[in-house]
Amino acid sequence: MKKRFSIIISILLVLTMIITACGNGGGGPAEDTIKIGWIGSLTGDQAVWGTCESNTIKMLIEEVNANGGILGKKVEGIYYDTKGDAAEAVNATKRLASQDKVVAIIGPNASGQAIAISSVLEEYKVPDIATVATNPKVTVGDDGKVKEFNFRVCFIDPYQGAVAAGYAYDRLGLRKAAILYDVASDYSQGFTEFFEKTFTEKGGTIVAKEAFKEGDVEFKPQLSRIKDANPDLILMPYYYKEVALSANQARELGIDAVLMGGDGWPSEQLMTMAADAIEGSYIVNHLDFNDPEVKPLRDRYSAKYNLPMELNGYMAHDAFLLLKAAIEDAGAADPVKIAESLTKVSVEGVTGTIKLSPEDHNPIGKQAAIVKIENADYVFQEKYGVE
Amino acid sequence: MSYFLQQVVNGLSLGSVYALMSVGYSLVYSIMNFSNFAHGGVIMIGAYVGYFCLTLLNVPFFIAFILSAIGSGLLAVSIEKVVYRPLRKRNAPFLYFIISAMGASIFLENIVIASPIGPTFRSYPAVFSTEPIMLGSVALGRIDVLMLLIAGLSLVGLMYIIEKTKIGLSIRATSYSIRGSTLMGVNVDKVIFIIFMLGGLLAGLAGMLFGMKYVVYPQIGNITTKSFIAAVFGGLGSLPGAIIGSVLLGIIEAMTSGYLSSQYRDLIAFVLLIGVLIFKPTGLMGKVTEDKA
Repeated sequence: MKKRFSIIISILLVLTMIITACGNGGGGPAEDTIKIGWIGSLTGDQAVWGTCESNTIKMLIEEVNANGGILGKKVEGIYYDTKGDAAEAVNATKRLASQDKVVAIIGPNASGQAIAISSVLEEYKVPDIATVATNPKVTVGDDGKVKEFNFRVCFIDPYQGAVAAGYAYDRLGLRKAAILYDVASDYSQGFTEFFEKTFTEKGGTIVAKEAFKEGDVEFKPQLSRIKDANPDLILMPYYYKEVALSANQARELGIDAVLMGGDGWPSEQLMTMAADAIEGSYIVNHLDFNDPEVKPLRDRYSAKYNLPMELNGYMAHDAFLLLKAAIEDAGAADPVKIAESLTKVSVEGVTGTIKLSPEDHNPIGKQAAIVKIENADYVFQEKYGVE
Repeated sequence: MSYFLQQVVNGLSLGSVYALMSVGYSLVYSIMNFSNFAHGGVIMIGAYVGYFCLTLLNVPFFIAFILSAIGSGLLAVSIEKVVYRPLRKRNAPFLYFIISAMGASIFLENIVIASPIGPTFRSYPAVFSTEPIMLGSVALGRIDVLMLLIAGLSLVGLMYIIEKTKIGLSIRATSYSIRGSTLMGVNVDKVIFIIFMLGGLLAGLAGMLFGMKYVVYPQIGNITTKSFIAAVFGGLGSLPGAIIGSVLLGIIEAMTSGYLSSQYRDLIAFVLLIGVLIFKPTGLMGKVTEDKA
């Protein structure tokens, strides 16, 4: 039996190797182009976002090339699918840095992958700008020192968690909170930790804290426990698929607490799946979808791809803008010089002014947008920040 | 008490999904003595058929159910024809069947990803409101009630076919001994065809119910692993075993999440499974045989 099993395993392993080896071979050397890499999910749960990011970058590169490129050189984008998996992200980064010789990488959107690729970036000395990776450890190591080649254009989880807690306590007057979170996700854990901290410091109580694991589709056992604790609000710090499922199931159990979430929520899919269940919920987000400043980009995108624009597209846009400014500031397509310039330049992105701090490589002074879901639409409430 | 009952309801609703899926594994195993891992793919296709019937063809729900059941049934039968029959004709060892089944399952998953359907998940149009039906303080989801009904009815129908009809008799005979029943004039090819058809029909129903309750995505097969475990738990090859195993697994999972922590859910469920298999290697209601996997 053991032998049979090992035969199966070895056949599977060989197959995996063949499949992975069949990926892109590296292109030849081309000195007259500037190569920019992108990594993210093109398959799996988060494919909607990855597709939007890569489409946006493709569109921007076309536009830049039509206007003469950067530093007089054409820009070439190379896109790899991470399948939402940290190990795949590491492989993709290695390939971009060692074979494709890109000057910088944009993405991934998820913290787990962005953290995983740090050591590869260090090794090859190539800067990476994460789009929506909000975990603090993306840019700062366990030792508290800033990672030289990791940057981001979004604010961080503590900030989202703290904003959600502050807004719920001070503006909505809610005192009893329950949390349902994804134990397998750095994003969800970081968000949860800082929500708890701020909420209890302000005087609120966490009446229930329940966990699930990514890939779960059934949340009723946990939600029944939350229902028993009778909270005013349930924090759902995870991505829209689970949000839609858990929100629907919460309503099916007769829970009527206010739901709150972060930037993992906004998606066209969420509305089609759970519009009724999330009516009246609050989202802490990076930008307001109805802001007139974001409209031109959205229109350009929809006209080109006939797809709805997602949050990730706006973040990818700002990351690209920042990178372009940094390359121009560095005056050369040299990864190390670009990394130095990334904290020097300041750009007006669609999600606000972006200036990265040299201390932690996070954008300085970005306020969060509080959005309420009313009549199946995202209704901007206010810009809100906490200390 | 109402909390306990609520968790029982949660467990039953989860268990009924497992049950519809696990009978497919058991049916095939009872005759052919291998675990048909392609079953997960068949369920997944059923979920997509139902989805497209509703969104593109705009047919009523009832019709969509029938179409997705038929779609999955045909797919299961063609997998048998294309993948397993050549192996059967050559009397290939069971290991080849399992590997082919895995291959078929990976093929189905990736053909969906590569097709215009794509890798992103899709959600069924909302049919039922999320407003619960309240029994005292226990909340019943509308879709859960429908699931229990459909799962219950179709499982009763299946049991009827197996226990009371002539074709059921030949299925049972074949499950005791393929050679013996061939000698008695049973057409084994026909029995196997029917086995796959029945498993496929239920897979279509399961897929569509799963899609309505949750979402549809190419990796639905992952959850069918749980239903396979349930089938082993109840005793592979035994239909009542598959159903009882599924319901038990659902309830154990709900209770573990409800009273301990959801982090222990899979841990405890699988420790129990191993426990059952140590003390009763054929599962709760399995028939005694040797050398099967």
